[in-house]
Amino acid sequence: MRGSEFDEAEFFRAIAESEARALLIGRRALVALGIPVLTADYDFWLHIDDMTAFNTAVEPQGLFPTHTPDEARGKGRYVLENDERVDVLVARTVPTVDGVRVAFDDVWGRRRALDIAVGVAVAVPALDDLILTKRFGGRPKDFEDIRLLEALRKEDA
Amino acid sequence: MKPVTPPGPEARARLRLLAERQLSPEEVRAALAQPLGGAEEEESRSLIRWFRRRYPTAATRLAYARRAYRRWRAATPPE
Repeated sequence: MRGSEFDEAEFFRAIAESEARALLIGRRALVALGIPVLTADYDFWLHIDDMTAFNTAVEPQGLFPTHTPDEARGKGRYVLENDERVDVLVARTVPTVDGVRVAFDDVWGRRRALDIAVGVAVAVPALDDLILTKRFGGRPKDFEDIRLLEALRKEDA
Repeated sequence: MKPVTPPGPEARARLRLLAERQLSPEEVRAALAQPLGGAEEEESRSLIRWFRRRYPTAATRLAYARRAYRRWRAATPPE
């Protein structure tokens, strides 16, 4: 499938209808919340038991996993790709670079829903949790994004 | 006006390494301790206000991001 044929609304609809516990994280989540940053891919943090449902949902969009669910469980992440790229984190807990352990179940419990189309919502972490996920990476651009998220928090206060 | 020469592959690779490098624990602590304020905060909030005003829904913001990325790719010399 060519990138230009990728139907983003349909992509999010399929994920929502799959009932996979999938959180949109990364820069695409920043964009959805209202921060204009450049990004190439989609990042999700997915419940470790929901890989098959998620993979099946996005397969009609021409996205195929680089690893089997068993391999991905061992690595804690995998990628779905074709002309689009979807990075998927599947660890139950992830440490931040400064040592805070973040559990998927806790973040899922505090999630927010953002409407993408009529009847279609994507789940994103609460703002504090999204900031924590930005501390998983520890790259300079992650900390630039944290500062933008802090500005968003002040804007919404 | 002198035309801008895009950076070559080596310069782009160096920039990518800088942007993707892992910060040390000391750098992380310093980054997290730096309070947001002043001109940086106002510029960031102004940008967010513009973006939300111009693209009021998550769907329109996501569509904007896809267009912006395509424009950036088109303007970036091949590796």
